[in-house]
Amino acid sequence: MTAVTVRATATAPHSRGPRGLVWVMLRVHRSALLFWLMLVGLTAGALLWVYGPGADAAWAEYRDMGCGSGRPNLGCDFTGPAMGRYDDVLGVSGAVMYWVPLLTAAWAGGALIGRDMENGTARLAWVQSVSPARWLAAKLAVPAALLTAGMLTLTLLHRLAWTSDGKLHLTIGWRVWHDDTIFLANGSAATAYALLGLAVGALTGLLLPRALPALAVASLALVTLQNRIGELRPHLWPPDLVTATDDYPETAGLIVEGGALTRNGAHVPIPDCMGMPGCLTERDITGFYAYYHPAAHFWRLQLMETGIALALTAAAVLAASRLLKHRTGAAI
Amino acid sequence: MTTLTTTPIPTGHTPPRPGGLLRVVLRLHRTALVLWGLALLAATAGLMWLGALADEAERGNSACSTPPTDGLMSCAAVHAITADETYSTGIAFVTACLAWLMFPVAAWAGGALIGRELENGTARLAWTQSVTPTRWLTAKLAVPAALLTAGTTAVVLLGVWARGEDNPNLVGDWYYPDVFVGTGPTAVAYVLAGLALGALAGMLFGRALPAAGAALAGSLFLHNLLEAHRGDLWSTVTRDKSGWEIPRSAFQVSATQTRVTLHPQSHFWPIQYVESGILLAVAGMAVAGAFWALRRRTI
Repeated sequence: MTAVTVRATATAPHSRGPRGLVWVMLRVHRSALLFWLMLVGLTAGALLWVYGPGADAAWAEYRDMGCGSGRPNLGCDFTGPAMGRYDDVLGVSGAVMYWVPLLTAAWAGGALIGRDMENGTARLAWVQSVSPARWLAAKLAVPAALLTAGMLTLTLLHRLAWTSDGKLHLTIGWRVWHDDTIFLANGSAATAYALLGLAVGALTGLLLPRALPALAVASLALVTLQNRIGELRPHLWPPDLVTATDDYPETAGLIVEGGALTRNGAHVPIPDCMGMPGCLTERDITGFYAYYHPAAHFWRLQLMETGIALALTAAAVLAASRLLKHRTGAAI
Repeated sequence: MTTLTTTPIPTGHTPPRPGGLLRVVLRLHRTALVLWGLALLAATAGLMWLGALADEAERGNSACSTPPTDGLMSCAAVHAITADETYSTGIAFVTACLAWLMFPVAAWAGGALIGRELENGTARLAWTQSVTPTRWLTAKLAVPAALLTAGTTAVVLLGVWARGEDNPNLVGDWYYPDVFVGTGPTAVAYVLAGLALGALAGMLFGRALPAAGAALAGSLFLHNLLEAHRGDLWSTVTRDKSGWEIPRSAFQVSATQTRVTLHPQSHFWPIQYVESGILLAVAGMAVAGAFWALRRRTI
């Protein structure tokens, strides 16, 4: 990307158009650009390894241990080194994607906006030919494009690795589709949170025009927002109801709320019977119920969460541009 | 603390004294000082409250029977107690904050304590006044180190008190990563290592944001490295699994079908000492590196 834009400016060195602004952006933040390219490259490589050689080795080890034959085998409760490596690399890749929004918020608050405001380089840019509105637009658009491209690539690769070896996850049983990191990394929400991080960082940088305080506040704000929305996740779509007579349906999916059923259908909390015989019938309990999200609700939940994150992003961007307009007068 | 050091200033004016340097460090980083004070106050108040809640939480977690027999409370009464959940969440939160304190400290030390001053040129200004670079860096490190050590130690001790009977159902097992770090001297050692790594990153980069980023990355690496290898820090015990149920208090390092390698709870202190020793050695090397970088900058 840098090479292409550099050539473009070389042919027209006096152009002050948006290309020049994009070039300035990439040049000033070249270490962030390099870091991002490196992070995406490494994570993509790791996910491809998980998809290919990692999964193959884990399967081979699984078969060598004599598991998966249908016969019960206690040894299959323990995972070998290949399985451990497979799971570690998948987990670290997901964790990287999970933390990208926080890194983005810290960088956007500190380096992208806060430092420019603190040093006065923002003001210097505004008295040159760049209007404050275009300055902010370039500051947001270029990182947003790079973040979206990188995060969508990683999401596609994570989906590839996750869906192709679904049986492997069932066998290990450590990771399920509604785990925080897995859920985000498998869909559009990871990208939406990265953009939210950018917007929150930019708004904080303008509000507290100093690099380090903006960095700290933006990071805290993003973590708080991401956790709050994550807590809302089970309530973003009406759940399904499942009932069972023998045992609590724990493995149904993402459980929103559950309990025991009495004979007349009342929902009561599960009594602490600890397997004592007759204890359940004594309390008039005939079954169990759970409101849950099956795996089929994945995209509905994902799109709702993406929508909320993008709406917050839009609100933060709007607030940032309003604030900038207010600060710099109506001369835009 | 600030008031104590401000009072001697008006009495003598020209000669530079350690008191003046101390006052400058505290005054320059007053936001951090206030935040640290507020965090300590909040932690103290929270832990006192949690400690007072411990007995009630213990009752909410006790065995029960229906109908109540053998001195056991009825299950309905036990379930009605919600203090155990509040208590568990509160203790886990304070413990996690202690275990993760290293990260904000490292970022602050790299960014605000050293990096910003070198970037702005205020460090150079200070050196051309009566403060030598070595004394400047010594004060920059000693004052936060003293305040961080005192505060963290107090919170760890108070936390150990608030844990009461150390019931693992309520406060987690001793070998959980956060619990292990947050209940012993390693908590202080991690914070000091974070401070030292931040100072080193600040001196090496000489700019606030890259230094903050590098210090954070270094601390994350160190933290994760030690967490992954905690089981190797002291010799393990290997036992045959047949006919022996592994107690919950055993920190399992690895297991096969027949044998298990573990640390009994008595290994808590040896591992704490070894881990603290490693961290303090890292901190010492980082401080030495920071002074070396300072010398290169000022020659």
